[in-house]
Amino acid sequence: MRRVFAVAAILTLSGAALDAQGVMVAPHAVFIDHRLRGGSVLLYNPGTEPVEVTISTIFGYPVTDSTGAITLRTVDAPDSTLPSSLAWIQAFPRRLTVGPRERQTVRLLGRPPVGLADGEYWLRMVIAAQAGRVPISGVADTTAIQVGLTLEVRTIIGVNYRKGPVTTGLALSQLRAQIVGDSLITRARLERRGNAAFIGTIRQTLMDSAGRVLDSYQSPIGVYITMEPRLVNLISPSRLGRGRYWLRYEVVTEREDLDPTVVLKAPAVRDSVQVVVP
Amino acid sequence: MKRESFILIAALLLGVPLLAQSRPLTVTGVRGLTFGAVLPGVPRIILRTDPANSGQFDIRGPNRKQVLLSFVLPAAMIGPGGALMPLSFRAGDAGYSQSQLIGSQVGFDPRQSFTATLSNNGRGSVFVGGRANPATNQRAGAYTATITLTVTVLP
Repeated sequence: MRRVFAVAAILTLSGAALDAQGVMVAPHAVFIDHRLRGGSVLLYNPGTEPVEVTISTIFGYPVTDSTGAITLRTVDAPDSTLPSSLAWIQAFPRRLTVGPRERQTVRLLGRPPVGLADGEYWLRMVIAAQAGRVPISGVADTTAIQVGLTLEVRTIIGVNYRKGPVTTGLALSQLRAQIVGDSLITRARLERRGNAAFIGTIRQTLMDSAGRVLDSYQSPIGVYITMEPRLVNLISPSRLGRGRYWLRYEVVTEREDLDPTVVLKAPAVRDSVQVVVP
Repeated sequence: MKRESFILIAALLLGVPLLAQSRPLTVTGVRGLTFGAVLPGVPRIILRTDPANSGQFDIRGPNRKQVLLSFVLPAAMIGPGGALMPLSFRAGDAGYSQSQLIGSQVGFDPRQSFTATLSNNGRGSVFVGGRANPATNQRAGAYTATITLTVTVLP
């Protein structure tokens, strides 16, 4: 029993007394024009302790899995069939320390190969920052077990490099919708057209059989190649009576979180589907 | 928020090319995952809804922004002389809350990625719990590990 008490410990994974720590990243998406070949990202440490930051780059783009959940597909060594700028965009510095309430700039420099075809080329910038560490101390009993867990945060933002004329568009198909409990669940196949990612918004409108709007929803979307996102939205009012309803599904190139000058324009695509509540 | 706004304005005045000009993204570690007192051979479970001991990360960004959340979770903590103490995480050990309230989370499996949407005012919190599994002969000393939250901005 004594041994049990001797080994009994305070197990603390980074501790409740953790000082909030992290780094602010701006912007959250970078668009580089081939004529400038460079961009930058601002890092700001709002905390009271220095934050060590590591910068790296990967190639990846959002896709959906069989359930419609969005994931990031990464490719370690993208070949020439993929529109990757991983091999020729560099970020520097790669390691830095951002002091308390200080800001630092990470620069991106593109050195594209000669003869690069017009189009959009992608990579993802990974900003890894220490998010808190609790010193392992304060337990006088040297037989105790003490645990300290370092928290780390990785922020991954997109970097889109555009050369020459870039176009985008979308083909919408296989729209289906169902109401399960208090939720409207929809899926549709979205296939990108053109030579650049489709960055826009999905607008959904639920109407009754007389065409009266019951509810509407908006979801930002980025279609890099093809995806089939599953969207779940709470219906208000929470219960619909038996009957037939219509869902209008529209995808437009509008984004409130991005500068309109970087959002490529394309014709909206739309479809409707009937939803039956038995 | 005032400070962040000031920095953004300063950056713009200094010509930092913020081509996509909107609220920046900030991910902050708020509270660590705390296991409290444990006994050798007795697993200690912390729920993600535990207001004192669950881990918490806060996210601030553009309104209604979609982000992809994923964890890199340690399988064990490393202690004295390379001794290991197993950690485990199961489905439902992580949660996301748009309102940043620990009582209004949507649970998810921290071993898989999860798509979250920031609130109408650009906020969200991620909570995480887990299990420490000390062995009956767990060696005394300090154990460390790193838990990583990856926030991927979509698109």
